[in-house]
Amino acid sequence: MSHRPVFRSLVHTAAALIAAAALLSAQTQTGTSQVAVGTTSAVATAHPLATKAALTMLAKGGNAVDAAVAAAFAIGVVEPDGSGLGGGGGMLIFLGPEKKSLYINYYQRAGERLEELPYDREEDRQSVRASLVPGTVAGLCGALEQFGSLPLAVVLEPAIRYAEEGFAIDATLAKIILDNFELLEKDSATSSIYLDEGFPRAEGDRLTQPALASTLRLIAQNGRAGFYEGTVAQTIVQETSQRGAVFTLDDFKNYREIVTEPVKGTYRGYDVLSAAVPQSGAAVIEALNILENVPLGELGHPTVSVESLHLMAEALRRTYADRSAYIADPLFEQFPLKGLLSKPYALERFLDINMERATPPRYRDTKPGKPEKFEKESDSRDPRDDGFLRLDLAEADGGGHTTHLVVVDRNGSMVSLTQTLGTFFGSGMTTAGVLMNNARSNFARTVQVNAARAGKQPRSSISPTILVKDGIPVLAVGSPGSARIVSTVVQLITNVVDFGMDAAQANDAPRFFCQKFEDYLYLENRYSQEIRAELEAKGHALEIYGDYDLFFGGAQMILFDPATRTYQASADPRRGGAAAAN
Amino acid sequence: MTAFRFHFVLVAVLITCFAISASAQKAPTFKQPVLLTSAGQSADVTMASTLLKKAKIEALAKPLAQPADLKGIHTLIVVAGFSSKGLGAAGISREDEMNRVTTLLEAAKKAKIPVLTMHLGGAARRGSQSDDFNKVAAEAAAYLLIVKQGDEDSFFSSIAQEKKIPIEVVDKIAGAVAPLQSVIP
Repeated sequence: MSHRPVFRSLVHTAAALIAAAALLSAQTQTGTSQVAVGTTSAVATAHPLATKAALTMLAKGGNAVDAAVAAAFAIGVVEPDGSGLGGGGGMLIFLGPEKKSLYINYYQRAGERLEELPYDREEDRQSVRASLVPGTVAGLCGALEQFGSLPLAVVLEPAIRYAEEGFAIDATLAKIILDNFELLEKDSATSSIYLDEGFPRAEGDRLTQPALASTLRLIAQNGRAGFYEGTVAQTIVQETSQRGAVFTLDDFKNYREIVTEPVKGTYRGYDVLSAAVPQSGAAVIEALNILENVPLGELGHPTVSVESLHLMAEALRRTYADRSAYIADPLFEQFPLKGLLSKPYALERFLDINMERATPPRYRDTKPGKPEKFEKESDSRDPRDDGFLRLDLAEADGGGHTTHLVVVDRNGSMVSLTQTLGTFFGSGMTTAGVLMNNARSNFARTVQVNAARAGKQPRSSISPTILVKDGIPVLAVGSPGSARIVSTVVQLITNVVDFGMDAAQANDAPRFFCQKFEDYLYLENRYSQEIRAELEAKGHALEIYGDYDLFFGGAQMILFDPATRTYQASADPRRGGAAAAN
Repeated sequence: MTAFRFHFVLVAVLITCFAISASAQKAPTFKQPVLLTSAGQSADVTMASTLLKKAKIEALAKPLAQPADLKGIHTLIVVAGFSSKGLGAAGISREDEMNRVTTLLEAAKKAKIPVLTMHLGGAARRGSQSDDFNKVAAEAAAYLLIVKQGDEDSFFSSIAQEKKIPIEVVDKIAGAVAPLQSVIP
C-alpha cells in the first residue's frame, strides 16, 4: 500500500477544512448581509421561514399586503421573542397602482380598567400586569380585509404549519432564549415551550407551539373574532386576571386598528412616509430635517468623518428629547406635530448644535425645543407642488424586542411593517398559546403627555418608513431595537440617500446610537480608534459594543434602483433574517 | 477506497487519542462554601445557580464578585459568557468587566482558592465577544464543565489539553448536575 496518495488525501482534506474555516471566519467577521436582487418583487424578514411565507403568497398571485400579512403572522411563530398575536405594531402601505399611502396602527392599547391596576414600573415591567390589549390580529386581519386579495385561511397557513410542526431554533433565537432565561422560567406555559428540563433550548433544537397553532386555526376559521371573542379571549382574560391583570372581554371585543395617513416629510428630494403618532415616524422625519441643513454626503460617512458622526449624534439626541416631550396618543393629547415636522423648526434645532463640542455635555441634559411656534408653518412640504402625497398633516391625526419586514410586489405596492411584544418575550406569560406583551412599559414614568390612561396607546419607537421618488416607492426600511429604532432608521436612510450605498452596504455599515436619556454614545466596534479619539475630544463618552450587535436593531430593507429597475432586498446581518427577490 | 479507509482510521485514532488525553486529567474535588460569579455578565450565571440548587450545592451568587468576596470561600465557580445586555444592566463596560474578572482570578490564585469554570451557553456564548472571557476563565480553572455545543471547535478541549486541566463535556445544560455533584460532594 502506497502512503503517498493517502498523504495527498490528508493534505487536501486539511486544506479544505482550513479554507472552509477561513471562509466561515471571514463571513462572521464581515457579517455579510443576506441580500437578494430581483426585478419583479422582493421580501426581507427576520427569519427565512417568514420570508418563505411571503414568497408563497406572491407565488399564489397575492399582493404585497397578502405577503406581508402572511410573513407577519409567521414571524410571530418563528421569531416568537420579537412579536406575535399577543403584541401589536404598525404597517405602512404604499399602493402602487393608486399611488396612495396609508398607515395601519395596530399597536397595543390600554384596557378600560388600566388605572385600577397598581403598577410598579420596576417590579411589574416584565409581567402580565404590563400587558395592554394586543392589536396584531386586528391589524393584520384589517389589512387583509381592506387591501389583500387572498383568503385569511390561505395567508395563515404557513404560520399554523410552523407552529404545529415546529422549526429548528436558529442562532439568534437561541441566544435570546439564553439571555431571557430568568423571564422564561417564571411561567409554566412559557417554559414548556422554550426550556428543556428547565434549561434553555439550544440552537438546532425543534420548537413547537401546539397551543398557538390552535389559536391560529380559530383565527383562520373565524377571522379577528377568533381572537377577540370566544374561547381565546375568555381564556386570556381569565388567565391573565389570575396573574394580576385587569382585562375585560369588552377590551378585546372593542379593539380596533386605526387606518390613517402616515406622517409625511421630505428629505433631499424624496418624500418620506413613516409611522403615524404615537409611533415614531415623526422623530425620523425631524432628525432628517435637521440633517438636511448640511451636505452630509460631502462631509463623509460617519465611519470616516467625525463631523458627520458628531452632527448626527447631536441631531438625534435633540430629536429624542423632542419625541419624549411631545409625542403621545393624539386621541388623548394635543401636541405640536406640525411644528415638530417643520423645516424652520429643524433649522432652529440645527443651529443649536455646536460642531466643536457635545452640547450640553451630558446627554440627559438635552432640552426639548419649542416647536409650538412653528405649528402654523406650512412649509414642512417639499417646494415642488405636484399634489402627490402631500395631504394636510392634520388628517394624519385621525387616528423595543420587535421585528421588521418589508415586501414589494409586481405592481409596485410596498409594505414596511414593524411589530412588537414590547421587550423580548414581552410579559413572559403565555395564555392560549399567545405570549402576552409588556407594552405598558412604554408609557411615561411621570405625569406627562405619555402618561398611562385607560384606552390610550403608549408612545412607541416603531418607525416603518417608505421613501418615494417621483411617485415610485424606492426604499422600504425599518428596524426593531427599542429606543435605537429611530436612530437606526435615520442612519439607514442617510446611508442610501447621502452616501450612495446599496441595500447591503447600508445594512452592513457600522451603527451608533445616542439619545437624551443615556450619557453614552454607543458604537459598534468597527469604528476606528481615530474616530473614537476624535469623538472623545468633542466631549462624547463612548460605549463600545460588538462588531455587529443586535443592540442596534435588526433592519430589513428594500431599495429600488431606477437605473437597473431592480429591487435590492437586504436582511440585517445582526439577526438571522433572509431576503428574497424575483 | 483503501486510502479512504486508512484516512478514516487515522482520523478516528487521532480523535480518540485527543479525547483520552483531554479527559485523562483526574477531576479534582472542591469544597464548600462556594462563590458563584460571572465572566462576561451573561444570564448564564442564573442557570448555573439553578444547576447548583438541583445538585443541592449551596453557593453565594455574586455576578459582580470582587476579591473581598473571596473571604471564607473554598471554591470559586466562574460562569463564562459575554452579554452586552448583562453589561448594560450592570452598568459597566466590557473593559471594567475584564478587569474585574482578571483581578478576581488573580486574587483566587493568590488565596489558593480553586476555580471551577462552567460554559453553559453553547454557540451563543462563543465568538469574539465571549471568547476573551471564555479564555481567561478557562485558563484559570482547576476543572472545566462545558456544554458540548460550546466546544464544537475544541476551544475548551484545547485549553484543557494544553494546560492539563480536567474537563467534562456534557451534551446539554441539564447534564451538568451530575458532574457538579461529583466534584462538589
